[in-house]
Amino acid sequence: MRKGIISFSLRYPEFVFAAVFAITLFLVWQIPKIKVDTDPENMLSEQQEDRVLHNQIKKRFNLSDSIVVGLVNEGKDGVFNPDSLSLLRHLTSRIISIKSVVAPDVMSVSTVDNITQEGEGVIRFQWMMQTPPTGLEQAQQIKQAVLNLPLLKNTLVSEDGKATAIYVPLTDKHESHRVATEIKQIIADLKPAPDDKLYITGLPVAEDTFGVEMFTQMSISAPLAGLVIFILMWFFFRSVTLISAPMIMAVVTVVCTMGVLIGLGYTVHIMSSMIPIFLMPIAVLDSVHILSEFSDRYRDGDDPSQVVEEVMSHLFTPMLYTSLTSAVGFASLAFTPIPPVKVFGIFVAGGILLAFFLTITFIPAFIVSLSQRRLKVLADAAASAEGSNVGLAKLLPRIGFGVINIPKTIVLLVAAICVISIFGITRIQINDNPVRWFKQQHEIRIADKVLNKHFAGTYNAFLVLNNESNDEVYDDFLLAADQIVEKAKPAVDISQDWGNLKHNLSGKSALEQLEEMTAIVDDLIFESEEPEEKVWQQILDRAEDTYKVVKYFQLPESIKLLEDLQSTLMQSGLVGKTNSFADLVKTVYRELKGGKPMNYQIPDSSAAVAQTVLSFQSSHRPNDLWHMVTPDYGSAAIWIQLKSGDNVDMDAVIKSVDDYLKNNPLPKGVKLEWGGLTYINVIWQGEMVNGMVMSLLGSFIIVLLMMMMLFRSIKFGLLAMIPLSVTITFIYGVIGLVGKNYDMPVAVLSSLTLGLSVDFAIHYIQRMRDINANTNDWNETIGKLYAEPARAISRNAIVIAVGFTPLLLAPLVPYITVGFFLASIMAISSVVTLFILPAIVVIFRNKILATMSLAETDVDEAASQLVDFQESDNDKTSDREDV
Amino acid sequence: MIKLQIERMFDMNNLMFHSKQLPVLMVLLGFSLFANAEDFTDVNFIVRFANLASYYAGDDGQAKVRMTIVDKNGKKQRRQFNMVRKDVNEGGDQNFLIKFTKPADVRDTVFMVAKHIGKDDDRWLYLPSIDLVKRIAAGDKRTSFIGSHFFYEDVSGRGLDEDEHKLIDTTDKEYIVENTPKQPESVEFASYKLWIDKVTFIPNKIEYYNKVGKLYRSVETVKLENIQGFQTVVRSKISDIQTGGYTLMEFKGVKYNAGVPADIFTERSLRNPPRKWLGK
Repeated sequence: MRKGIISFSLRYPEFVFAAVFAITLFLVWQIPKIKVDTDPENMLSEQQEDRVLHNQIKKRFNLSDSIVVGLVNEGKDGVFNPDSLSLLRHLTSRIISIKSVVAPDVMSVSTVDNITQEGEGVIRFQWMMQTPPTGLEQAQQIKQAVLNLPLLKNTLVSEDGKATAIYVPLTDKHESHRVATEIKQIIADLKPAPDDKLYITGLPVAEDTFGVEMFTQMSISAPLAGLVIFILMWFFFRSVTLISAPMIMAVVTVVCTMGVLIGLGYTVHIMSSMIPIFLMPIAVLDSVHILSEFSDRYRDGDDPSQVVEEVMSHLFTPMLYTSLTSAVGFASLAFTPIPPVKVFGIFVAGGILLAFFLTITFIPAFIVSLSQRRLKVLADAAASAEGSNVGLAKLLPRIGFGVINIPKTIVLLVAAICVISIFGITRIQINDNPVRWFKQQHEIRIADKVLNKHFAGTYNAFLVLNNESNDEVYDDFLLAADQIVEKAKPAVDISQDWGNLKHNLSGKSALEQLEEMTAIVDDLIFESEEPEEKVWQQILDRAEDTYKVVKYFQLPESIKLLEDLQSTLMQSGLVGKTNSFADLVKTVYRELKGGKPMNYQIPDSSAAVAQTVLSFQSSHRPNDLWHMVTPDYGSAAIWIQLKSGDNVDMDAVIKSVDDYLKNNPLPKGVKLEWGGLTYINVIWQGEMVNGMVMSLLGSFIIVLLMMMMLFRSIKFGLLAMIPLSVTITFIYGVIGLVGKNYDMPVAVLSSLTLGLSVDFAIHYIQRMRDINANTNDWNETIGKLYAEPARAISRNAIVIAVGFTPLLLAPLVPYITVGFFLASIMAISSVVTLFILPAIVVIFRNKILATMSLAETDVDEAASQLVDFQESDNDKTSDREDV
Repeated sequence: MIKLQIERMFDMNNLMFHSKQLPVLMVLLGFSLFANAEDFTDVNFIVRFANLASYYAGDDGQAKVRMTIVDKNGKKQRRQFNMVRKDVNEGGDQNFLIKFTKPADVRDTVFMVAKHIGKDDDRWLYLPSIDLVKRIAAGDKRTSFIGSHFFYEDVSGRGLDEDEHKLIDTTDKEYIVENTPKQPESVEFASYKLWIDKVTFIPNKIEYYNKVGKLYRSVETVKLENIQGFQTVVRSKISDIQTGGYTLMEFKGVKYNAGVPADIFTERSLRNPPRKWLGK
């Protein structure tokens, strides 16, 4: 098979080029269909329990994701001066007209109602600010009025009066970037005074802006990575001809992988946007091996096809194994429950395999297509490039000999580092916050900081209580009604009508049944004659009594429950403010009773609550009520405003509620649910951490098995896993120790490390076995090992590490994190390989080397190819050194 | 001929005219259409007449009203109340008393509204479970009527002088009138259109447009009945297009000219609503 493919490519290079070109072109054509997805909600699959619940809560309470526009004036009178308020009013009225804005729910000082006392027994309902204030005094009155309403204080207006907010709910949060851009335009049109500072924030904006910047990063960082790799390879090989083939191949790999991803309808998420930059360096490596070996072997007059076949027969298996291990590392991400991470892992794995396939088809085709002249140039260039490795050539043998003199010290040192790292791992703080995906000086971060300084918090979570005991209550009602019907017999017999009614309503929820029953019975009373009417009336009375109980959150004791939970939330110290139906009822009740603070309390009966609410409903915004309680009063939501969107903080809030409920259990039938984006982030993060452990274990075991298979030895298999294990432990230890948050990009790194750094161990061990079998002398082995082989490892590490550095210039933090850690991982794992493996081998020399020579005798094809591969490297080196 | 006669009967300088003439007018109007007479072209006449037909049938009226408020999720709430109305002068001020009968938790809550033309209405509220009488000063009439999608103004009528009226089309069945507020600051709409039935003068449909010209709210006359010679809307539906909710308002037991006394519209009636007119 292998031979077939290669010789086909050699015989029909034009066909290979045409096929690659055609497929690439087709897949390029898919790319414009790109759909970007930056919604952190999509970190959970659509069926995920908490996400389903979150969306149910949003629907149940008509909640929309919101943009928050803040107007801040640090002047003496704050924003409560005629000019600022007039600006606010204009801005609000124009925002309301923007497409995708849920106009009736826009909250601003100019769209909310005010309740005030107006003399004895008179209460006034009116717009908070229908016309802009004419003077300062009037402006300050508005401030007092807003601050007098608990639901608005610190939500709509900051306590110091320096800031006010406009909450802009959206029909679709994916429109937020456009809406935010339109708002910015309106602000520019309105020409605010220099003192009036405007800020735009809110999670949807952060997410959407992220999506836009993601494109920037993809169109800058990925090509930049290509350029860096190009320069680096030129430095090592000094031949444009030689390195252009791998570069073309890298581009083809990236374009095809992204083309397939987009063509199959997958959205490009923050993770998948990193695919190009991951594939670029990985794709280049194998072809570099081929080309540099080819240029070594090729002599003027040789048949290039024959040389290529020779080279390929040596390199095929090691390339296959290194590609497979890398692919396994990435593919293991498919074990995570996070859809975007899955897609990322699978497509990078696919890209690696594609790169491998192109290496054995496109590269041979490329070589045989070169003219004799070019082939000669190529061979010469490769030879002359060796000089650039002088530094490494001097340094590496020193490391090798240094290590074998103090092997125990090295092992102990590494062990100590591991112990400290494990301690570090225990201190890892799992935390993420989409707003922190932006750099500190990004306008979203600034807005976030300013608005959270003034207001109760721009991060939302919802705590929802559901009453689920209604079925039982309803059954009791039916029983009682049956008795009423029976008792009326034989004088009045409505049992048939009653039976039909029950039958027609069955299957619906208790509450719906009760609602419809009340309406139908009411109609029956309307239509029926005296004796029946009385019986129906009895049933109706009973139904209404039941209804009162079913309208659970209208009961004063249930409202008290909300109140208690709210004070628990506040006591956690992490919550800026909570808003609930309790606050609304208490405020309206206070105003009905004359506005005195002492009357800020829950009315004493369900009917009193209902009548208080009825008064509120004669306002301009009666629907605000339904953001707090459902129309059937079966479910109530507490809106929690947090100053921080950090998952750790949300987690602590959840824990404080859990602790409270341990001592104060909810009444029977009442269930608690969480929702809101800040909460959702905590959930997917939790899933990610567990998923990553699974994925890491899974890929560790698979790679270990592959190593054992490759080396035909359990011991060598285990040995090959040591450097990467040390690297992973060290990296995560450092993350724990320096207090860097374990967030999404950090989580993904473990599997990548595994897949990439095992390559070093494969090369090292195979080479070591081979050399030692020939020399049978440990010192000589080290000498040879730390010449070309060590240099090859270092060179690869440098290419990949430096290849990732353009990510450091990315505008978004997750890319910087990935770039930084991948570069470090490559550097560290190559260093660890070069230090720890010889040290261990020296200590266990007798056992391991015995195996080595044993293994050598029954070396299988794969291993022998590896040996050849390394040998050829060695030959090449000596050739070059001769030059 | 007939058209002239009708326009003469209707005193253009005075909103008031005797509502007892209304049925007579209706007959004449029906006849005028039957006779294939000319359309009316004076928009002021059309809107005034529509206003009278919609809100001033009889000198007084009483009804049982049921409201079904439906939100976009299909969740329903029902409200039922008895209502009695007495006109102070035709086409002018009116008094209303409203007593809730359903749901049970707001039963016996009483609203009293003194509708004024050209100034804010007076409203009173009695909440039995808090035993509280409150006068409510409302900044405007475009606030929700007891949590429904109807505004107070939809229930009691909007002052004709508050808008500029323009007859934009006359079809086989309807006069289409566009209305723009004289004080745009005071309302949430930019304009609204009335589809006034040529025969009954009851608007078949009203549509409200916001500042960007988008339809966001509409009222439909679903069912019309002739009661004591007055065309009466017994079922109407208002839709909030922005939120996807709607309210259905149904009238039962409508009676006109029952001789409702003027002196029942007092604060005393809030705590002790007259049973004769508002039920037990």
